[in-house]
Formats: sequence, C-alpha cells, structure tokens
Amino acid sequence: MNRYMKLVNFEFNRFIKLYFVLIAFTIVVQLSGVVVKSKSYLNGANEAIKESMLTKSEYVIQYGPMSFIDISMSPWIMGPIALCAITLVIYVFFIWYRDWVGKNTFSYRLFMLPTARLNIYLAKATTILLFVLGLIALQLVLLPIENQIFKWMVEDVYRIDLSVLEIANQYYLNLLFPKNILEFILFYGAGMTAVTMVFTAILFERSYRIKGIFYGIVYCAVSILIFLAPLLLQASLLENYFYPMELLFLEIAACVIVLAGAIWIGNLLIKNKVRV
Amino acid sequence: MIEVKNVAKKFGRKKVLKDVSFTAEKGKITCLIGINGVGKTTILKAIMGLTPYESGEILINGEKIHPATYEKITFIPDTITMLPNMKIREAFTFMVDFYDSWNSERASELLKFFRLNEDDRISELSKGNTAKVNLILGLALDVDYVLMDEPFSGIDIFSREQIADVFTSHLIEDRGVIITTHEINDIEHLIDKAVLLDNGVILKEFDTEEVRENEGKSVIDVMREVYQA
Repeated sequence: MNRYMKLVNFEFNRFIKLYFVLIAFTIVVQLSGVVVKSKSYLNGANEAIKESMLTKSEYVIQYGPMSFIDISMSPWIMGPIALCAITLVIYVFFIWYRDWVGKNTFSYRLFMLPTARLNIYLAKATTILLFVLGLIALQLVLLPIENQIFKWMVEDVYRIDLSVLEIANQYYLNLLFPKNILEFILFYGAGMTAVTMVFTAILFERSYRIKGIFYGIVYCAVSILIFLAPLLLQASLLENYFYPMELLFLEIAACVIVLAGAIWIGNLLIKNKVRV
Repeated sequence: MIEVKNVAKKFGRKKVLKDVSFTAEKGKITCLIGINGVGKTTILKAIMGLTPYESGEILINGEKIHPATYEKITFIPDTITMLPNMKIREAFTFMVDFYDSWNSERASELLKFFRLNEDDRISELSKGNTAKVNLILGLALDVDYVLMDEPFSGIDIFSREQIADVFTSHLIEDRGVIITTHEINDIEHLIDKAVLLDNGVILKEFDTEEVRENEGKSVIDVMREVYQA
C-alpha cells in the first residue's frame, strides 16, 4: 500500500508540469472567452441600437438575449475542455510507452521494484483518474466564476440568468457533471473501465509485440461487447423487457465485470508476460 | 545461489535460449561469455523476471522470483534505468523511497569514489559517467546478488579501470555477481567462474582457478579451444 501511494505520487509528478500548463491554458482561454463573447454581444447590441434607433428591450426582442450557454457552447469553453480530454486520452497510452520508447529503460526499474507489479498498473490508473477529477474540479470552480464575470459584464436587460446547475446540465457538460450518484458511477465507472481496458490492451502489445496488437484488439472487442450486452439484448431479443433503472444496474454490473476482467488479465500480463 | 535450470526461450520462431543450465554462487563472480546476440542479456533478464521464458526454472536462494526478491538481487543493464531528466540526487531519493535495502552511505561513498556530483542531471552526463551512476544504483543496494550486463561496453579506458577497481573492493565481496561480456580482457583476472555461450547453448562452464591450476590455461585459452574447435 505504501509503495502504491509512492508510485501514485511519482507518476503524478511526472505529468505535473504539463498538467499545470493545461490548467493555466484552460483558465486563461475560458476567462478570455467570457470577456470576448460578452463584449462582442454588447458591441453588436450597441451598434444595432445606434443604427436602428432601438431601445435595449427592443433589441433583445428583435435579436434575442444572451445567456451563458452562448459562451459555454463556444470554442472558448469547449476548446480547452476538448484539449484537456484529448491530452489525457493520449496520456493513457504515453503513461506506459514513455517507459519504453527510445533509449528509455525506466521500465526495467519499474518492474524491478520490490512491490507487486499490479501496483504499477493501479498507480498509473489512479494517476489518470486523479488528473481527470482535478480537471473536472477546476471546471466546477471556473463555471461559477465565469458566470459571475458574464453577469458583471452584460447588463441584466440583455441576459438570461442561469444557475451553475442549469449550465452544468446543458449538452456535453452533463457528461462531465453527472446529476446523481448513479450517473456518476456509470459515467466515471465506464470511463475508468475504458482506461483499464486500454491499459490491458497496451500490456498485451508490450507482452507479445506485433501479435499482441491483434490480441489487444480482440480483447477490447470482447470487453466492449460485454459492456454493451445489456443494451444490445434490450434492443433486440428482449424487446424492452427491462425498466430503465434495471437496465442501469445491469450496465453497472457489466461495467464491473469488464473492469475486474481488465485488472485480472492486466495483472497476469504484467506479472508473467511483459517484456522490457 | 542462483540456479538456472533447463531454460528455453523463443523470440517468434527463433530459439534464443536452448536448455540453458548453470549456477552462480554467492561470493563468486560468474561471467557469461559470448559474442553479441548469443543470449547473454536474455538470460539476465529471465533471471530478473523481465522477460518470460517457455520452459525451465530459475531459482534464487531456492525460490522463484517474487516482489521481495528485488531486495536481494539487482540488475545493472547496459543503459541507465532512471529517468534522464532526474538529477543524481533525485535518483537516489527514488531508490530510498522504494528499496529497504538501499544503503545511502554506500551510495555517497561510491559517488565520491567515481568523483560524481549529485546535482548533475543524468541526461547531461558522459557515457562513462552514466555507466558509473548506473553501477551505483545497483551496488548501493544491500543485495546478495548483482547482475551486470556489459559494464565495460563503450566506455573510456579510465572509467573501465575505475569500474574494474570496484570488483576487487569490499563493494563486491561476499556477493554473488553474474557479469556478461564479449570482451574478456578487462576482467579475466577477476572472474571465478566462466560460462561460455553460443547460439543460446552453453558450451562450457568451468571454474577459472581450477583450470588455471590443473591445466595451466587462461580463460582466453579455453575460449579459443571451445569457440575455434
């Protein structure tokens, strides 16, 4: 346990600089986005009011008010979120391959540590989870601040006020901010299951090299099939037999099976088959 | 004792180890000799559990390798096993964090012996100095066995001499050492046992002192006989 925590700390520190860059980029771009989008709306409104001799209320009736959704759906907010997501997806691969690529033989050191090798696997998975939760937490802190800046900048006559909860439930943001504990378990559980599945596929490749790519693809296909089995059965053979809540529990069960399978197979590979 | 029993290994269809068996005792320096590509490094990796093998068995002090074994045996490959962006000090901190057998005093002693500075970054060291840091990372562990892969390969004459000095010092005494090399000259006088390999097969295993005394032959003489037969 002690060495597992140390490994998590070690893996975390290896990405921390780039992580801080991502955080800084997200803060700067999103806050700038709120200012730019608000100003752009106000400039448009002022020009239209001047040219067409409209009152503010008439402008709003004619062109519509502004809400925070106009900002949150823009590339200013979506862009950094997408960049963070893509970076973390790439890092899911890089967190393993960085120990092998080029002249790097750090994989030797990792696999010669006097601790169960599963701890290396779990520490890398935990690190990814921490990075994801950290970025979500950042977004949770940023959204109210951005909403407040929006309110400061745009007069209330021009805007529709939304609570942070309402903003978080819009479109893609509701994937980041689940509404209840079951959704949280399903969304983040499915996310972490996907991460462990990719980890195990990477270990197939690291163990059997070219053949391992094929094994990894087959393994992923089987895992995805198990994960989707309740939905596929519901839609085909069972003809909507399950209530939505039952289906949700079945999905969680499928998720647990795939997760347990990924860790079990991953453990076997990292313990007995992996090559440096 | 390290016991390698009938180990066989394939890479794809190519058999790289064929029924390899030998032992390496504590307190002795065993040298695996052979040209490049005969399976020397693969044997060391197999002993350390860093590559799987198809058949056979490897025992360290009578046990198969398990996590705690890494407190008793260490491997010094021919490239450094630390992150290049680390300073030597940070590499030592990593070792303190993860190994109970890390001996900080010995690490400092070796650092002084090799005239290295712990604030130096590993990526900025010369090849010889990188090899020395790699050696420290292995030798500063209080382990029973040290496995070294080509420790003299590609480094300057003075670094070779310094590293060879380590073999005659208290740093190696009482430990079991397995060393691989394709250039025997540097260490011929140091080794207790030689294992001659070719194409994944052990051609001969002998006690160097015994051969010297009984047959009046050096390791190189025996190598000539075996490889040029």
